Amino acid sequence: MEINWSSVIGIVATPVIAFIVGVLYGGAVRKITARVQNRYGPPITQNLFDIIKLYSKKTAIQHGVMQHLGPVFAITASVTSLYFIPVIKDSPYFQNFSFNGDLIFLLYMMVFGSLGMALGAGQTGNPNSAIGVSRGLSQMVGYEIPFVLALVAIMIQFKTTSLNELLAVQDHFTNWIIFQSPLAFVAGILAFLGMMHYAPFDVVIAPAEIASGPPSEFGGKYLGLMMTSGSIFAFVKLVLFVDIFLGGASDFITLIIKTFLLYMIPVLTGIVSPRFRTEQSILFFWKWPTFIGILAIIVVVLNG
Amino acid sequence: MVSLTTLYEITFGGAILAFIAQHTIKQLRTFIVIVTSALGVYIVWRLPSQATDISFRLGDFQILWGVNEYSQLFALLIAVLGFFTLIYSIDFMKERERLGYFYMNFLIVIGGMYGIVYSQDLISLFFFWEIMTWSSFMLVIYCCDDAQSIGLKYFVFSAIGAYAMLTAIVLIWANLETTSLSVLFENFTNLSSGLQITVIVLFIVGFGVKSAMMPFHVWAPDAYAISPTPFTALFSGALSKMGIWGLGIVLLKLAAQSGFYVWVQDIVAWIGAITALLATFYAIVQTDAKKLLAYSSIGQLGYIIVGLAIGTPLSIMSALFLAMLHGIFKAMLFMSAGAVFYRTGSTDMNEVTGLIRKMPWTFLTALFGIITVAGVPPLGGFAAKWMLYEATIQSGHYFLVIVLFAASTAAFLYLYRFIFSLFLGQEEKEYADIKEAPLTMTVPMVIMALFTLVVGVFPGIFINPIGNAMGYFGNYTFNWDVSSLLNEWGNHVDMMTVVMTIGAIFIIAAIFITIKNYRTTRYVTTKDIHTSGEIPTENENLTYAVDFYKPFERAIAPVLKRSIDKTYNLIAENLESAFDFLRYVYTGNGQTYALYVVLFLAVLMVFAELIFGIQL
Repeated sequence: MEINWSSVIGIVATPVIAFIVGVLYGGAVRKITARVQNRYGPPITQNLFDIIKLYSKKTAIQHGVMQHLGPVFAITASVTSLYFIPVIKDSPYFQNFSFNGDLIFLLYMMVFGSLGMALGAGQTGNPNSAIGVSRGLSQMVGYEIPFVLALVAIMIQFKTTSLNELLAVQDHFTNWIIFQSPLAFVAGILAFLGMMHYAPFDVVIAPAEIASGPPSEFGGKYLGLMMTSGSIFAFVKLVLFVDIFLGGASDFITLIIKTFLLYMIPVLTGIVSPRFRTEQSILFFWKWPTFIGILAIIVVVLNG
Repeated sequence: MVSLTTLYEITFGGAILAFIAQHTIKQLRTFIVIVTSALGVYIVWRLPSQATDISFRLGDFQILWGVNEYSQLFALLIAVLGFFTLIYSIDFMKERERLGYFYMNFLIVIGGMYGIVYSQDLISLFFFWEIMTWSSFMLVIYCCDDAQSIGLKYFVFSAIGAYAMLTAIVLIWANLETTSLSVLFENFTNLSSGLQITVIVLFIVGFGVKSAMMPFHVWAPDAYAISPTPFTALFSGALSKMGIWGLGIVLLKLAAQSGFYVWVQDIVAWIGAITALLATFYAIVQTDAKKLLAYSSIGQLGYIIVGLAIGTPLSIMSALFLAMLHGIFKAMLFMSAGAVFYRTGSTDMNEVTGLIRKMPWTFLTALFGIITVAGVPPLGGFAAKWMLYEATIQSGHYFLVIVLFAASTAAFLYLYRFIFSLFLGQEEKEYADIKEAPLTMTVPMVIMALFTLVVGVFPGIFINPIGNAMGYFGNYTFNWDVSSLLNEWGNHVDMMTVVMTIGAIFIIAAIFITIKNYRTTRYVTTKDIHTSGEIPTENENLTYAVDFYKPFERAIAPVLKRSIDKTYNLIAENLESAFDFLRYVYTGNGQTYALYVVLFLAVLMVFAELIFGIQL
């Protein structure tokens, strides 16, 4: 069997790049938040150092097998989703397995990690974890509906469920789906606010309320693995949205610019927002975002 | 040499022998039951190559039994599930009484289901349908306090279904003078369009009751919850599939020929989708694990109905795929709930908690079960969900697919609650001495759990036989690889790549974290947790289980407020007072009754031609 070295390099390099970008974005968010709140803030590399520190620490306790495997589920979902998304358009290094899956597969793959994490958090027996999971799953039913509406609108407009084919459609910047299907973009980006779990939709980890919720019993290497997975997963969601709506990126600089600008939407909303209660957040997603999503589908059907 | 008659003889004979054995030589009973069901699996497996059609006359009616690939699919499910649930029942039912009654009815249900799927004519279909209904009714009322009212509800709805079906059969007989299914399929368009739609609706009601289609679902949650768990697994896994089997025939063989097909498709698909969504909402607010699973079962059947109603090759495939898979994973989930009940005596999710370390194999089964229901890769449920969504989108049902997505996302809620409440969370002293369920219970569960993984990697092992079975409905070809899924726009998912990727990353990460943490960590109890500085006392309750989804309940409160069950109860109350009036009619006087009979015959003779079109 002939080994395709460019894809091997891609498989090794993609998670590493995703991790570094994701973790630096995390640091940048902390810095930006601090500046908005008129604080000095930690250096941009703070999250990276935190993770390195966590990996070098001894983990003292665990509550059983499911907790042990919770972070493993999370990282599996993050990296697998990453492999099925074309990170850089038409690059032989970063296609990975994106030709072997489609959008609906990705939808489900991305849930895999949350489910595993929820199971892991469940075994710790910490009531705060369980409360966080209950809130997180409930909120997911909220934002998943406008998100799926947006995706369905795009799928029927371009008659494909494959990300690569959607990228091929957006060959010129006037053909970006954000311009071809603006309503779907609005519904999608509102759902995206919920998916990123920044305020006003941060009821899951709810700092200062339920002691950071699901991850509250995880320490040491468990937390390190979870933060790694979280950084990669943030990158996955950003690249997915850039690929779907903003025409992807044909080089690394474009990718950084696009993802960073996109990331700023939930972050900047979050800094100036208070927190929704769970049912408020669910009902928020079921009102305007859902309505806009339905409108998006109707427009596509009418344009036929 | 095996044939259909051997199958019936062995199954029904086994039922009677089991009953006799219970009252003579008790030790033989279990042996007879297991051998009977094992022989059932063997015979069903061998039938396609050896069976010949069996035909004889019963009065005016031509009875015809035969094997085709569509019925074979369902028969295999019945046989395998029957075998597994009976093995499971050995220990589960050990301490119970009236076991002869239980096993006899259990085997009769299995025999009745074989009869249904192998029937080629309406008379034997109806006959076996009633056998199945009666014996399952016997098992629903097997135990417990409110068996009477629950059994009555089940029976009333079954009766509604049965008489809808009987009316349809009578209409067909009166107009086409045939009871043979194949003749009916050929001549269906000869019926007037009014009759066509009447027959279709009546059959949909008849089969819809058994497949718990809304608004005929109200019997299901209670009946599933109260029947003994080994039977519940079969009830939800196989018996409800008889409704699906029939709906498949009605929708794809009869309705497809009529001029109303588009209407029927849309209406039934929407009923299915709404069933899926509402049942999921109700499942979320349940506190009893078996009731939760019952509502979940109704919801999953909703998906199957949607798939059948849409009627594209991919959607039929997804429906039958999900039907087969649902038989397996719902049996797994009911069995794991049953194992918990066996050890703790309760399936109340507010009470039982933290069993993961005591019942690891049961937990594993439940875990595989919920991942399959959720449709998360790499287990088999993903393939079914994927095909259903793609088919729904590509056939132009854009809003239907949103409802389905909403239902399946909301399903995560109740699935998590099921596994969290029973197995995860705080480990209470009360359950400190619980042991794993006996081998006869865990082995069938774990075998089925592993099977869902196999189906996830190689969906082809389901797709190919189902593709053959779909030959019954028309010429569909599925030349897929054993591990790939393909939609109508040409997009595909390669399950092999998916599973390999997931497996590799999972194993690498698991090895990493295990090696790194193996020596340094020590196990601490679930009392030893971060509580923001407060130290919980010995008896302080830290379990978070009651009203687990209160915020979500608040969000969907307007939906939960309305319930068709309440409407039915209102009707029932009004009917009761109406029936008081009937006492004037049913006087209890023999002479009055004789008068009625005479009057009835007279009316029949006068109006026979008008009503049935028959010359008496």
